[in-house]
Amino acid sequence: MTDSRLESKVSAAIVAVFALLAAGFALELFGGYRPLPENPLVDPSFLETKTWRASYADKVAAEEEVFEYDCYFCHEEKKKLELTFDDKGAWVRPEEHENIKMGHGTHGRNNNCFNCHDQENMVLLQPRDGTTIEMQDSSRLCGSCHGPTQRDWQAGIHGRTSGHWDREKGEFQRLNCVNCHDPHSPQFPGRAPAPPPNYLRKVGKQGSHQDVEEGAEQAEESEEEAESSDEAEPEMDDSEESKPEAADAEKSEPEAEKGKDE
Amino acid sequence: MSEQTETTTPEAADPMKRRSFLRAATAGAGMAALAASLKPLLEMEDPPSMERFLQKYYKEMTPEDMKKVLTRIENEVEKEYGKRPHVRDLKPMDGVQFVYCLNLTRCIGCRKCVHACVAENNQSRSPEIQYIRVLKMPHGSLDMEKADHDYTPDQVPEEGYFYMPVQCQQCENPACVKVCPVNATWQESDGITVIDYDWCIGCRYCAAACPYFARRFNFAKPSIPKDRINLDMAYLGNRPRRMGVMEKCHFCIQRTRAGRYPACLEVCPAGARKFGNVLDPESEVAKILATKRVFIQLKEELGTMPRFFYYFDV
Repeated sequence: MTDSRLESKVSAAIVAVFALLAAGFALELFGGYRPLPENPLVDPSFLETKTWRASYADKVAAEEEVFEYDCYFCHEEKKKLELTFDDKGAWVRPEEHENIKMGHGTHGRNNNCFNCHDQENMVLLQPRDGTTIEMQDSSRLCGSCHGPTQRDWQAGIHGRTSGHWDREKGEFQRLNCVNCHDPHSPQFPGRAPAPPPNYLRKVGKQGSHQDVEEGAEQAEESEEEAESSDEAEPEMDDSEESKPEAADAEKSEPEAEKGKDE
Repeated sequence: MSEQTETTTPEAADPMKRRSFLRAATAGAGMAALAASLKPLLEMEDPPSMERFLQKYYKEMTPEDMKKVLTRIENEVEKEYGKRPHVRDLKPMDGVQFVYCLNLTRCIGCRKCVHACVAENNQSRSPEIQYIRVLKMPHGSLDMEKADHDYTPDQVPEEGYFYMPVQCQQCENPACVKVCPVNATWQESDGITVIDYDWCIGCRYCAAACPYFARRFNFAKPSIPKDRINLDMAYLGNRPRRMGVMEKCHFCIQRTRAGRYPACLEVCPAGARKFGNVLDPESEVAKILATKRVFIQLKEELGTMPRFFYYFDV
């Protein structure tokens, strides 16, 4: 009888342990699976490979409005253009060209139409050497001032080259100056950046990420390491006592967080 | 025990019935509790198929073995995402050493490269895995302790700051490869350090060894929206990963070994990224290394010899 009593006690104890474990898992007392919130998908516009600016050729290809490139719709052919100036001698931009933002060169020193445009033929450009350049060949005009940049561009260093790096395997595309730069205001305008990363830790804290820095994911890892070293505690020597303590201190942090959440 | 039950007298039958009931109940509850306590096992997603379990090491596979493996991966992806991908095993080309150059003067910090990389390489969206981090640092210093990669201004670039994208540096002397206990990651002859996702045991030693924080671990099952999956896949490249394996930038192996530029380069609106074969003197990267002020390999004092170079204009 005593044997069977002992036996039933032992089996009851084992059952109790399993039952507690089961209850623990069911109630997720040990953390359980917290479903991760879905990160919002990035706006597809950030995945587009098109450049900052649509050039004349791009607009023609996309069948967009190219009216502003048709000079002789308004202007008279072979008539020399005249500029108008105000009382102080500053150039007055005609209303029809209000959409042109003049910002070429620091301190506005290159904001003069005929530095680049031909005064008599509006479809031509003129560099400083007296020759003329067709509109579609504008890179040569740019290079007449920006020599080093043009040299880099010709070598493929400046500007993006897309397609195939291995020229034997396929085509590649080298962009022109005006594919990216607005010739009237060549510096890139500011643009909204794509969203920043969403770290696991950031997610766990439900968006409060002001002090999350570079080591967010590393911190996750160190937490797990802390837990595993905690389990190994009984086997450790006295000399290593400081380690489990540190691990405890680290472990208590997520528990405190959990309490906060609840 | 059973003997006792059989030899009981009718007088004692009542307590023995109670006992046997209790015993049966205990055993039943015990089994149920045991099953319940093994619940985490039930939550194991994606248990390995026999084919995958018995798969050979990458370098030991014959072309026929590889063909079978690629078909298996195609089937798995089709089952999971509803579209049949084209998975290839691209080998390094002879006489090619890949090098990446990044112009810090041109980078505007728009993070388009980060998201183009995610889309190209089928990275998990939730939890998020990104191979590229863009660090924002004040002009006049290169103090990564002060770098911010959570910046969200209305417009970039911001006055007084520069931006430094960091990704796998494809070191010539890679620390991550040395620590791998199962040789699941190695350096190929074109300089790309690759990972066999089917061989990785998920110990994360390589993540700890990498001085650039370039390696990412799949802590959970990766989630990729079905409509955003990239079906042009490579075995060592962008095929979907499982939970519990490591991944990192592989210079878009599925593109670059087919002769194309990487995705991060093609999306860069500032032309700050340059990629090519450094052994070809006519390549863009060879010209940059020859003529530009290439001033750093990141953390060059560690002797990792990155194949990723940062340079300045002017």
